[in-house]
Amino acid sequence: MYGNWGKFLRVNLSTGEVKVEEYDEEFARKWLGSRGLAIYLLLKEMDPMVDPLSPENKLVITPGPLSGTSAPTGGRYNVVTKSPATGFITMANSGGYFGAELKFAGYDAIVVEGKAEKPVYIYIKDENVEIRDASHLWGKLVSETEEAIRKEIGSKKLRIALIGPAGENLVKFAAVMNDGHRAAGRGGVGAVMGSKNLKAIAVEGSKTVSIADKQKFMLTIREKINKLRNDPVAGGGLPNYGTAILVNIINENGLYPTRNFQTGVFEHAYEQSGEAMAAKYLIRNQPCYACPIGCGRVNKLPTIGVTEGPEYESTWALGANLGINDLASIIEANHRCDELGLDTISTGGTLGTAMELYEKGLITDEELGEAPPFRWGNTEVLHYYIDKLARREGFGDKLAEGGYRLAESYGHPEYSMSVKKLELPAYDPRGAEGHGLGYATNNRGGCHIKNYMISPEILGYPYKMDPHDVSDDKVKMLIIFQDLSALIDAAGLCLFTTFGLGADDYRDMLNAALGWDYSTEDYLKIGERIWNAERIFNLKAGLDPAKDDTLPKRFLEEPMPEGPNKGYVVRLKEMLPRYYALRGWTEDGKVPKEKAKELGIEEFI
Amino acid sequence: MVKVKVFATLIKLTGRKILEVPAGSVEELLEKLYSTYPGFEEELERGFMILINGRNIEHLQGLQTPLREEDIVSIFPPAGGG
Repeated sequence: MYGNWGKFLRVNLSTGEVKVEEYDEEFARKWLGSRGLAIYLLLKEMDPMVDPLSPENKLVITPGPLSGTSAPTGGRYNVVTKSPATGFITMANSGGYFGAELKFAGYDAIVVEGKAEKPVYIYIKDENVEIRDASHLWGKLVSETEEAIRKEIGSKKLRIALIGPAGENLVKFAAVMNDGHRAAGRGGVGAVMGSKNLKAIAVEGSKTVSIADKQKFMLTIREKINKLRNDPVAGGGLPNYGTAILVNIINENGLYPTRNFQTGVFEHAYEQSGEAMAAKYLIRNQPCYACPIGCGRVNKLPTIGVTEGPEYESTWALGANLGINDLASIIEANHRCDELGLDTISTGGTLGTAMELYEKGLITDEELGEAPPFRWGNTEVLHYYIDKLARREGFGDKLAEGGYRLAESYGHPEYSMSVKKLELPAYDPRGAEGHGLGYATNNRGGCHIKNYMISPEILGYPYKMDPHDVSDDKVKMLIIFQDLSALIDAAGLCLFTTFGLGADDYRDMLNAALGWDYSTEDYLKIGERIWNAERIFNLKAGLDPAKDDTLPKRFLEEPMPEGPNKGYVVRLKEMLPRYYALRGWTEDGKVPKEKAKELGIEEFI
Repeated sequence: MVKVKVFATLIKLTGRKILEVPAGSVEELLEKLYSTYPGFEEELERGFMILINGRNIEHLQGLQTPLREEDIVSIFPPAGGG
């Protein structure tokens, strides 16, 4: 088999048993790998009703067939599991170098099952797999843990995926971190790892990923890299200014969520933009494995020294969303989130909810005591509560449950800007209604990246669509974005390649690497299969489409108060029935048998 | 005078973030910017985003969109992220 090894590791932490299992080419042709492999395994082996933080939940850590190859951005991996934040599937994705190294060790995935009696870490060196004691690492920050494991094993080649204190303390939005500042962030995958008493997975490998037609692959790769280098975004805007180049763009377009999405225009946006970061703090770019884009930022501050990030989403979550304009405080907070192993989007989203609850008089000074008040723009909130919530100390224990549960505990869940209890990212859907439909229907809840309709609605990729058009064309474009994103995730590539590449380009790379002759439609079918399989998992996990495929009331009922989108709400009710119909689903949002049969997944219905 | 906000690499070319330019349409505005700031035209050769009061000109009248005194125009070179 080419690209994939056809092998994955199964590690049961309850019994200590380690097994290598195999799958065949036919399976790969159906699911491709990574996100596809993971949803198949979870549907096949696990009851979707399991408690996400119980030993019965499984954690699948998985690069794709192009991970570890020279395909541009081929270093991605997914962490797929049942989310403790949403109660549905989550597939958190990360870059860096860990995913590629796991492929070099000869595995397409690690399936972690059960729960260790005491803290452990897994050390993988090709065929040698050990479960090692990690009692001495428990409680340590991400950088401290990485350093300790490196010292212990004594290998420079080591790549490590790990949790910080947040994951240990089962914070509902704890991330799995790798290579210092890279995060598989969304949906609380770090808490699932923590619930298994698994502190880290350290990998080193010596193998080379097999390619079917090496010469054809090299020529194809060269062509795609050139496309990316010549693209004004992938080869210009992103390397020059990082993802935070979006701050001004989204703000000027009037959908930069400000003060917990109370408005879409932030008066201090420029001060926290990619332009400002480049002028004040940037020392160099930090590319992930095999990446010709290099959007990662390495910044230097007098207070904390050299750090990586923040990305656009983190800048917003810890900035405008809280009414905070001080970029240095945002960079420091981002660094702290990385060290503690927290998803920055949900951290900011939860703090934003707390701030609105405080503004509305629901959280009181009396309750907070000596702790800082949740006032808009108060940078003390960042410096104080991020540590507290990661350690579940004081009021931090309430924050650690996420914004939805926090707001619900005060009787006002409507102040949580979340979908399926996952905090929303940095785009107010009242300024991009198709993106709003994406939030409502995303399999992992309030997520932007698995259906990035900001591309057509704001940025004009692949072509410009009116952000307030809610026609069938818009709905169809969303479905293409969802299926294509699932495909790119399954391939092991970065979604930012879509700024320079189209669906045919992924076909070319995959065909050359895997030795297949699939059409673009065949590949998109794999994406559609994955999306539908995840939907089936969610339905089996108790998803009620009428209740769960929705948006916070604010976006449906409160018109945007100012800016270019003034007066707009999201016309979700107009779009959702057409989305179900165009997906081939029933009127009540279920995957019917005929559709499952068409996709070859009827065994899961 | 139309207020023009420029971003990213355009700031380096103009030396300022906000400019004031007399122009009756987007096309006229661009011509003035091109002739005043060397390199401006090249920077927008491969695409741009132009907003008038936050509305993309693609959904107005494109380059022919008329400009009024009080309009704020935002100009970006091609960009993306996520």
